[in-house]
This record gives sequence, C-alpha cells and structure tokens, in this order.
Amino acid sequence: MENKNVLVIGGGIAGMEAARRLLQLGCEPVIVEQSDHLGGHVAGWHKLFPDMMSAPELVEQMAAGLDGVTVYYRTRVANMNRLGSGYSVMLSNGMSLQCGAVLISTGFRLFDASKKEEYGYGVYDHVVTNSDLEAWFGGAPDDRIPDSPARVAFVHCVGSRDLKAGNPQCSKVCCMTAIKQAIEMKEKFPSAEVWCFYMDLRLFGKKYEDFYIAAQRDHGIHFVRGRVSEVSEDIHGHVVLKAEDTLAGTPVKLNADLLVLMAGMLCNDDTQGLARMVHADVDSDGFMRSRDNIYRINESNRPGIFFAGACTGTKTVPETVAEARAAALDIYNYLNGRD
Amino acid sequence: MRERFATGFDPFVLPFLIGMVFVLGYCFFGIFRILYQLPKDDRRRFLVSLITPRTALKNVWDIFCNCLLHVKLWKRNKLLGFMHSSIAFGWFMIILLGHLEVFIYCPERVHLFYYPIFFNYFVAENESTIGGAVLFFLMDFFLLLILTGIGLAIVKRVRSRFFGMRRTTRPSLLDRVGLYSLWAIFPLRLLAESFTAHISGGSFLTIPANWVFRQFLGNDLNLLPTWWAYSIVLGVFMVVLPFTRYMHIPAEMMLIPMRNAGLRIRHPRKGFAKVQVLSCPGCGVCIDACPMSAQKVNIKDCTVYLNRQIRRGNEKRIEEISDKCLLCGKCEAVCQVGVEGPRMRVAQRSARRYGLTPDFAAIDTAPLSRAASAAFSGAAGATGAAGAAGAAAGAAGVAGAAGAAGASGASGVAGAAGGAGVAAGAAGVAGAAGAAGAAGAAGAAAAGVAGASKVAFFSGCMTRLTPSVGKAVCSLLDKAGADYVWLDREEGLCCGRPLLTAGRIDAAISLIRKNEEVILGSGADTLVLSCPICYKMFSERYALPGVRVVSYADYFDEFVQQGRLRFEKSDICYVYHDPCELGRGCGIYESPRRLLGQAAGIAEAEKNREESVCCGGSLGSLTLDFAHREVITRKSLENLYSSRADAIATACPLCLSTFRRYSDRPVRDLAEILDASCRL
Ligand SMILES: Cc1cc2nc3c(=O)[nH]c(=O)nc-3n(C[C@H](O)[C@H](O)[C@H](O)COP(=O)(O)OP(=O)(O)OC[C@H]3O[C@@H](n4cnc5c(N)ncnc54)[C@H](O)[C@@H]3O)c2cc1C
Ligand code: SF4
Ligand code: SF4
Ligand code: SF4
Ligand code: SF4
Repeated sequence: MENKNVLVIGGGIAGMEAARRLLQLGCEPVIVEQSDHLGGHVAGWHKLFPDMMSAPELVEQMAAGLDGVTVYYRTRVANMNRLGSGYSVMLSNGMSLQCGAVLISTGFRLFDASKKEEYGYGVYDHVVTNSDLEAWFGGAPDDRIPDSPARVAFVHCVGSRDLKAGNPQCSKVCCMTAIKQAIEMKEKFPSAEVWCFYMDLRLFGKKYEDFYIAAQRDHGIHFVRGRVSEVSEDIHGHVVLKAEDTLAGTPVKLNADLLVLMAGMLCNDDTQGLARMVHADVDSDGFMRSRDNIYRINESNRPGIFFAGACTGTKTVPETVAEARAAALDIYNYLNGRD
Repeated sequence: MRERFATGFDPFVLPFLIGMVFVLGYCFFGIFRILYQLPKDDRRRFLVSLITPRTALKNVWDIFCNCLLHVKLWKRNKLLGFMHSSIAFGWFMIILLGHLEVFIYCPERVHLFYYPIFFNYFVAENESTIGGAVLFFLMDFFLLLILTGIGLAIVKRVRSRFFGMRRTTRPSLLDRVGLYSLWAIFPLRLLAESFTAHISGGSFLTIPANWVFRQFLGNDLNLLPTWWAYSIVLGVFMVVLPFTRYMHIPAEMMLIPMRNAGLRIRHPRKGFAKVQVLSCPGCGVCIDACPMSAQKVNIKDCTVYLNRQIRRGNEKRIEEISDKCLLCGKCEAVCQVGVEGPRMRVAQRSARRYGLTPDFAAIDTAPLSRAASAAFSGAAGATGAAGAAGAAAGAAGVAGAAGAAGASGASGVAGAAGGAGVAAGAAGVAGAAGAAGAAGAAGAAAAGVAGASKVAFFSGCMTRLTPSVGKAVCSLLDKAGADYVWLDREEGLCCGRPLLTAGRIDAAISLIRKNEEVILGSGADTLVLSCPICYKMFSERYALPGVRVVSYADYFDEFVQQGRLRFEKSDICYVYHDPCELGRGCGIYESPRRLLGQAAGIAEAEKNREESVCCGGSLGSLTLDFAHREVITRKSLENLYSSRADAIATACPLCLSTFRRYSDRPVRDLAEILDASCRL
C-alpha cells in the first residue's frame, strides 16, 4: 500500500461503518462531514424498523469504533484532482490531503414537503413530516402535534413516485416507516384512529410483511389505497383529507387532528457538483451512477472512487451498512493492487 | 389621349382574364358556401351588420387598416410592416389608379376587366398633359413602392431574423408557385410599361428605363411578349391563389366584417372557423410566440400548422394539434389577422363524442348555499358556519371528482372522436348567460363599493391545492373588515372550466347551473375569485343576476383606494408574471401591478402583459406531458429572470405551483405578498 489515506465524504452510517472497517484493515480513513455530528439522517431517527432498535444507540455504538479516525466537522470538499495513482484534495477548512482512494457516502436529501403545496405543510397547523415525527418521538417538542389526537392520518409517497414533483422513484423505506410510526402513534394514543393512505405497499424486506399484518391485526390501523387529492383545514383547525378509495371505488373524506407526510428520499443537491469534481457520472434519477446496479454498486467508473449507502439510491440501514463494509474491502484491495 | 386599338382587345389579355374569372367565381362560390354553413341566427346577424351604417363603416375602415396598411404588423416590426403594406397598398393603388385612368380617358371601356390593368398597352397618353403627368407619376411611384416591398420579401426569405422572426413556415409547392409568380408580376409590369413608355407615356421610372432599353434594343419586338408574360404571371397567380396561402387576401376581407358582426366559432371547420383558417397567410408570427415552440417536437402544433392541416384535411394531425395546445391565447394576441387559435381548438375538441357524460343535475345544492348564507354576519362570525357545509356536502364531493375524471378522460378517449359533429349551440346559451351576468354585475357594483356587501369567496380547486393563497385572501378580507364567507372551503363544485376546455360544453353547463344555485342561494352580492381560471369562467359563462363577479386583484385594489387596506413597502423586488387567464384572458393588467407596487418593488420581464409567456401548467392542454411542460416552464422562467428581480409574483395559483417546482428564486402569489406586508 503506497498511500493508506482514504477520504470518506459524508459521515452518515455509511461513512462511519466504512471508516471503521478501513481502520481495521490498516488504512487511514479521514471523514469529512458537512454537519456538526456523525450518523447522518439516522442520528435524527428514533427507532428503526423492523426490530425497533434505538437509532441513537446504533449511531453511538458505531462511533465507538472510530477511535483514531480523523473527522472534520462542518467541512466539505472544495477541490479534488487526480494526482499520480491517487487524489489530491483541498478541503473547505483549508486542509489539503493526498489520498489513495475516495469513498463517497453523502447519502440523500429528504423531499421538501412544502413543495407539495396541496398537503399544506407549513400552511396548516397540524401537518408534519415523517422526519418531524421521528424527532418528536425522540423528545423534541412540536406544537403541531396535539396532546390527544382522536384521528391521525399518514400519507405515503409524498414527493416520491410523483412525476409532478420531479421524482418518479419509489423511496422504498417510507411504507415501512409509515407503518412503524403508525404503530408508535397507536401505542402512544391507544384511543386514536390511525389511517394510512397508500398507492401500493412496498414491503420487501425480512420481517416487513409481519410488521404490516401486526399493524392491521394487533393495532387496528386502517389502510386505504388511494392518493390523497386535496387537504383543507376546517374552522377548528382540523385537517380535512379528500381521497379516492381505489379498491372500493368511492371518494372518501376524513377529518384528522394530525397529518403526517411520508416525505421521500431524493438525491443531494450537490451530487452533480461532487461528481463533476472527480469526473464520476450521475444517473438519470440524480443519484450517483454505479458501474452497474447488480455486481458493482460500490464502484464508480473512475479508478479509486467508491460509493456506499444512499448516495447511489434509496437504501435501508442494513443495506447501507452492508454496502459500507463491501466498499471498505474493495478499497483495501484497490490500494493493494488487487482487483 | 388616343386609343391604340379600335377593338380594345388583344389575345395577350386572355391568361389574365381566365385567372380573374376563375378567382372571382371561386370566391363568390366560397362566400355562398360559408354563408350557407353559418347557423341561421349568425347569418342573419352578419347580413344585417353589412347594411348597418356603423358596422359597415367600421368594416371599410378595418379592411383599409388591416388588409392594406397592415397596421398591426407595423407595431410588431417596422420592416415587416413596411414590406407587407408596401405590396398590399401599392398594388391596391395601382389598381385604383388604373380604374381612374379608364374612367377619365375612356369611360366607354369601363366594363372591360382588363383595361385598367393593361391601360398603357391599349391607350397612348401623353405625360405632358397635367393629368397624365400626375397619374403616370403616381403609377410609377406605387410600382417602385411595390418593388421595394418585393425586394424586402426576397431578403426575408433568406434572412427572416432581420424581420424580428426566428422561425417561419416552409411554403408548400403551390405556395411557391404563387410566391414566385407574385414576385414576377411587378418586375414584368415594369418591363412591359418601360417598353411601351415612348408610345404610351411614362414617368420617372419607366421613361429612363425605356431610354436605356432603346439604346441597345432599337426595336419594339419585345413589347408584346413582355405584356404576354405579365398577363400570364397574373393569370397563374390568380389560378393558384385559392390553393395557396394567398387565399388570405380575399378571406380576410370576409373575416373582418364577420368579426365586426360579433360572430363566434360554432363549428371547428365550417363557417367562421373556415374563414379564419383561410385568412391565415402563414406568416409564422405565432410560431415564435407559442410557448410550445420551446421544443422542436412541438413546433408543428402551433396555430399556423393547425390552419394548414385543416386546409389539407389531415384529421389525425388536427386532433393532435387541437389536444396539445395550452389554450394560453398568445397566438391570438400576436396574430395580426385575428385567428382565434384557442377557440378553434376547443371547437374541435367539442366535436368529440363520449360514451359517458357526467350529469350533475342530481346534486343537491341547498345544504351548500344554506351553510354559506348562515355564515354572513349576524350569524356565527365571518366564517362561522362554513364548517357545517362540510358535513352536508358529501354528494358535492362525488360530483367534483366526477368532473375532474371527465376532464382528464378527454385525452384518453381522443381516438373515439366522431367526425365533425355540431360543436355547440351551447356557446350561444353561455354567451347570453355571460351578458346577463355582466348586467347583474353592473347593478351590484354600487352595493359592492358601499361596503355593506356580503362577499362570497370562491377559491376553486387550484387555490385549494395551494392553501397558502386561500389563507392569505381570507386574512386580507378579515383585515379589510369584509363580511365574507369562504364558499368552497371544504366542499365545493368545480367551476366547469376543465370540462369546457376539454370541449365538453354540455357537461360544463350543467355544472355551471349547479354552482349558480349555490351562489344565488347564499345571498351573497359579491363573488371574489382568487383563481383567474375560475374568474374567466364566472365572468363569461355564468348568469348571476345581482351578484358582482370580481377578481381578488381588482377587489383589493378598490379596498386600497377606499383606505380599507394599507401596505408597507418591502425592499424585495418582484417581477410580475401576467397569468394568461387574468391578462390575455380577462384583460386585467394594471390592478395587480398597482397593488404589488404598494407592497414591494416591481420589475418588468422582457415579455409581459399581452405577450406574457404561459407557465406551462395550463389546464388547456390535454396531452402535453410533464417533461414537455417542464421545458415550457423553464423557458417562461427565463423570461422572468430577464428582469433581474429577486423574486417572482403572480396572481394565479396554477402559475404559482408550476413555477415553484422549478424556479431558482422565491415565487409568491400576490395575495401572499400583500398579506405579509399589510399594515392595519
Ligand atoms: C423518515 C425515515 C425513516 C427511516 N427509518 C429507517 C428505519 O427505521 N430502518 C432502516 O433500515 N432505514 C430507515 N431509513 C433509511 C435510512 O435513513 C438510510 O438508509 C440511511 O440514512 C442511509 O445512510 P447514509 O449514510 O447513506 O446517508 P445519510 O444518512 O444521508 O448520511 C449522509 C451524511 O453525509 C453528509 N454529507 C452529505 N453531503 C456531504 C458533502 N458534500 N460533504 C460532506 N458531508 C456530506 C451528511 O451531512 C450526512 O451526515 C429511514 C429513512 C427515512 C427518510
Ligand atoms: S416506499 Fe411506499 S411510501 Fe415510499 S415511495 Fe415507495 S411506495 Fe411510496
Ligand atoms: S395564425 Fe396568425 S400569426 Fe399565425 S401564421 Fe396565421 S396569421 Fe400568422
Ligand atoms: S394558445 Fe398558446 S399554446 Fe396554444 S397554439 Fe396558441 S400560443 Fe401555442
Ligand atoms: S397556469 Fe397561469 S400562466 Fe399558465 S395558462 Fe394558466 S393562467 Fe396562464
């Protein structure tokens, strides 16, 4: 190994896990994180499906393995050039690095729910997003959430699978997140009615279907197939949803005390800029383009540039972690001249 | 003066005569056909207008200004205006002067069609007489004018950019025959008259030319062949005319009186629509104007191509073009002939037959209007009982959904269109309704200003999909102390516009009747609208006696004048986007600007007012998909960015959400801006 330095861009769970494994393999990872904390989005979640594991604890546990890894917070990559067999990097904090390989683990961006104006996020008093709700579960106060709601409604696919919103992709995790949050709400407010409005339920992972069946059978959560067309607010401040139940073929109307929007996962705004810096490609969905989507998801089309986690598309936590480990091994092999 | 031939005839006039008789015959036949195609009441109206002195005078004046002087073209581009008017007006003057000459010198030949045209061949006059000098001078002058016009036309074929046009149409083969014969007519006339000038006299153009030619020709052998050539090109031009774009010359003379008579398009192909199609010279001004032309694939869906396909009878393309259009009205605004592109398309859409027609007659509107009337002051506060409307109006919800389904279904069933059915007597009914509405509005206006009015705020579905706008309007109404109710806060009926633009006029009217019941039953005397799409619908198609229909821009503007609303100016500079429906659709350009100017800085985009560019979100198009709309939206945003303003303001909820999707700077509705800077 000529140059053991590996630049890890993004300190979410993908970056953290990869850095930990690289350290174990004898490399010297450096994490560049634009925010002031590690863990990325997961650090802001409360519990993770399907095991209801505590998200902050998971992040904490992963951080414990990072002793000896340099982390630059509130820092971004300013400039990056190919130099010899590696990369010469300028950071926004003025530091410069020579590294043998680069791991891009910049994750995703949550859809801005106020862009779907018809749902009234930021306009009506009792409309929150999945991410707001996670924060509230985690203890952050939120006066949009009533003390004892009689009826809570979840709307799936907000800013996902929606050409009008500019994102035709399925975000993959939000059906499960909705079910998870619906159960948690029901547990908090046993007398509340909880409704989920979905287009399709995409429950592909291990234990996911069980989760859904439990939600219906044990928690009495109502599922309605149909897109919500319009949300208004009545004079009492209740949100009024209008939708079409496409299974029953009838229009439905629902008054709710709280509306939760399942905002989707989108590519980061600066994906293009970052990709251009290293001459990597961006895919048609705006995420980073892997060499292929079957066998080499971790690899870019440039030597020494690797990917892990949600920067190449929507991922769950286990997928992200698995990819991070695979990327660490790929990088180790790359630095040692093995393919 | 002396006539050169006692017979007053030479065989060379035959080509001209044949062409002339053909084209006149064709036009007369055409006029009768069109008249026959008009619905009875329209025909009567048209014929009466022809003998009513006021409209008759207006017809003459309009024909003079538009067909000969091309006044509207001058306003668009001076060079283009000069080119067209020099040819049209020059030619007209030459014909007029030709007749004058015949009248003066040989009145006994007046009945001969060809005499004024070939006067210089048949009659030898001397420019030394004062009359001759003046007439010959004028003849040469106008000939020169035309020749300059033709010269410019040739330049334009090669370089249309000089004329402020980026794209023009490609002429068909016959168009080209017509074009080249038109170009050839006047140089040949110059040649013919020049060869004859030493016999029949001439002026500053023809005499020197004659002198030059005589220097090296020395005989008159060319004389007759050039007159033959002149006559032949004239003949060719007139024979091909009905099959080329030059048909616009006679057609426009028919279009103007028809428009002045107040006719409307009732059938997509016949009558008035047919005259409009024929009146289009294919100038192509509407291509650059059309927002769809932002993309090459959609260029052939502009109005000029609709006209062309209708003339060719290409049914498949006519359907496609009719369905794709945004109905933004810009082509109509820039068209110097006045072809009503959007109306023709709606007429075409209305010829389609559907298996299922939604029926709204069963909706019970009583609970909706009762809830609204209970909410006016004296009852439970401004919006007090509006909530009750929600409980009672399940049925309305169903109907609304059905309406939407009907509208979007239109594109799906496109293939099933039955040929050219009768478009709509409905248009007539609605027209009458509109008039009644206007009368009612006038009556109610006084009450509105008095301040004691009961105001119904109708937001429409578009505003309900952008709740921040509805909230801002209500907040402003509150601040101004209006006694109002949000009519469709939770439940309401669609205004009918999507059905109407889809051409489903009967269904739209049945929905309109229901909405009229709700509004009249509510006891409101003023109806305020935040969506210009609804506003246009309400002001044109609804019969609401005693109710004033007003857009929120005009309404708040009045409040400002009455001192009921005051604003504090912020330092943000907005560029105002004229929504198509509010601007071109309803002619409201000033009140939004006045209001915005009170609340913030204001900048203008390169293309604004009548020429504002559609946001691309329009309900009008049945087939444009999101990818294509996005290109239109971005193009429209570019125009707004040209003002270098910090933010974008508009007064249409649909523009708002469309722009917000792609804009790199904040986009806000006028109501939101006003509400944020309102000081009580
Ligand atoms: C509401 C919600 C709930 C979820 N719940 C679950 C769940 O219960 N179970 C589960 O399996 N999955 C869940 N997920 C999915 C999970 O959040 C993702 O799988 C995970 O966050 C992906 O991690 P990541 O490290 O790839 O990306 P991220 O978490 O997005 O981390 C990316 C990091 O990179 C940083 N970064 C980005 N760009 C730059 C840059 N240019 N320079 C420097 N730093 C940068 C960011 O600040 C961030 O710290 C949920 C997702 C959502 C939206
Ligand atoms: S996971 Fe479910 S809610 Fe999320 S985008 Fe896919 S279908 Fe919609
Ligand atoms: S429709 Fe009007 S603007 Fe368009 S080509 Fe015809 S005349 Fe010109
Ligand atoms: S109405 Fe608008 S979109 Fe339709 S053809 Fe005319 S300019 Fe183009
Ligand atoms: S959305 Fe706005 S700009 Fe577009 S057509 Fe409608 S009114 Fe015009």
